Amino acid sequence: MSFWELIASMLGQGLVITLLTTVLAAVLALVLGFVAGLMRLSKNKFIRFLVAIYVEVFRGTSLLVQLFWIYFVLPMFGITMTAMTAAVLAIGLNFGAYTSEVVRSGIQSVDKGQIEATIALNFTRVQRMRRIIIPQAFIIMLPNLGNQLIELFKSTSLVALITLTDLTYQANVLNATTLQTTQIFTALLVIYFVIAWPMTKGMKLLERKMTEGRM
Amino acid sequence: MSEPIVKYNNVTKYFDDLMVLDGIDFEIQPGEKVALVGPSGSGKTTFARLLMTLEEITDGTIEVAGDYLWHEKDENGDLKPASTDHLRKVRSNIGMVFQHFHLFPHMTVLENIIEAPVTVKGVDKKEAIKDGKEMLDKVGLLDKADNYPAQLSGGQKQRVAIARALVMKPKVLIFDEPTSALDPELIGEVLDVIKDIAEEGETSMLLITHEMDFAREVADRIAFFDAGKIVEDGPPSEILYHPKSPRLKEFLERFMSTQASPE
Ligand SMILES: Nc1ncnc2c1ncn2[C@@H]1O[C@H](COP(=O)(O)OP(=O)(O)OP(=O)(O)O)[C@@H](O)[C@H]1O
Ligand SMILES: [Mg+2]
Repeated sequence: MSFWELIASMLGQGLVITLLTTVLAAVLALVLGFVAGLMRLSKNKFIRFLVAIYVEVFRGTSLLVQLFWIYFVLPMFGITMTAMTAAVLAIGLNFGAYTSEVVRSGIQSVDKGQIEATIALNFTRVQRMRRIIIPQAFIIMLPNLGNQLIELFKSTSLVALITLTDLTYQANVLNATTLQTTQIFTALLVIYFVIAWPMTKGMKLLERKMTEGRM
Repeated sequence: MSEPIVKYNNVTKYFDDLMVLDGIDFEIQPGEKVALVGPSGSGKTTFARLLMTLEEITDGTIEVAGDYLWHEKDENGDLKPASTDHLRKVRSNIGMVFQHFHLFPHMTVLENIIEAPVTVKGVDKKEAIKDGKEMLDKVGLLDKADNYPAQLSGGQKQRVAIARALVMKPKVLIFDEPTSALDPELIGEVLDVIKDIAEEGETSMLLITHEMDFAREVADRIAFFDAGKIVEDGPPSEILYHPKSPRLKEFLERFMSTQASPE
């Protein structure tokens, strides 16, 4: 195997892990973000309090520490998991906390007149949320959600530090074995950029598609 | 005389320490069109919003079609605050058209109109579309069915909002200054639509307006609000041409002098 073939094959394997981690963590973050964001708007004080704790804890500490904690500390309490599971869980929980704030403020920034219109048309609270408020809030949230997705993608490079063989991990291994530091880390940089950049463009496009003629 | 469709009994409303409605008694008969006029801040909007359940009542009761709106009877026949289900059941008699339309911006005109019948009432979608198109035709906007609200003029938006309220077949329809957010040249088209509905007769109307000529044409009764009370209430001919209270006289005089009479 030539030098470049070796690089391509190892980075390719790493890339698959990076993308898989991104997708799974993003789905978890989005689900958590919506659930926590909606709970934050609950009438029940206790529910709001619980969510506030979750959000503050995960925003108030670094993702790296959360990764370490979930992967290295939880096993001491008898909770063991694969590096992949730990990575998805930590990133999902961390970004879910930020996403919940995006969801909350998105929902709150829907025009209050919309709520009044749904009361006048006799919607239930659930019907109002599902049909009127969330669809409009989602469009408001979209730019922020897009930014978060890209941040999340880039943050997955931290999972190398809990032994998950992602793109960054593979680059490190290659670097240690071949000592071609410049080529390997330049290739790493280019790969991250080549994925993040179309993601940014794609989100912009989606935004435009969803607002076309409507807002 | 038949049972009133709406009955306010000694209704009082406070915002914190500010009394906005001061023990009002008031009735609307089935099919009756009542205009509310009065100076700014006199409580007209609040009065109507209590009926739409957009503000909570402080004291007194409102009856709609023979049921209490804000209350229901417990086992002993005493009044207690209404449950959500009860509130929704009674509220289904009422509809409202807002000054700023509040159309759903993420839905087309037709989707705006069929949304509540389908989602809230469970009407079959095909049927809702048929009814919706009929209603759009009535307000002269069938050709805009597939447009989004942002693509309409203010007058068109308000006509859609009226159609959206009407497909729910309310017994009482509230209009809170339906034309005051509109450019002057668009007011006429909206007033015409409201007149058409008024002429059909079945729906009772509560109409807050500063358009005196319009009130005189459409309303069976005009109620004059001042400082949280209905000071005078009667047929347009009396209220507009034979005002009794000094406050109403003053109000009308100020009005005539600032208002260039349309048409
Ligand atoms: N949500 C609120 N909180 C506190 N005060 C309010 C609120 N809504 C209305 N008010 C006050 O209640 C009084 C009556 O207001 P309302 O809007 O009912 O008057 P209005 O007759 O409709 O006036 P306008 O002709 O200007 O629309 C005013 O003093 C107003 O400032
Ligand atoms: Mg008002």
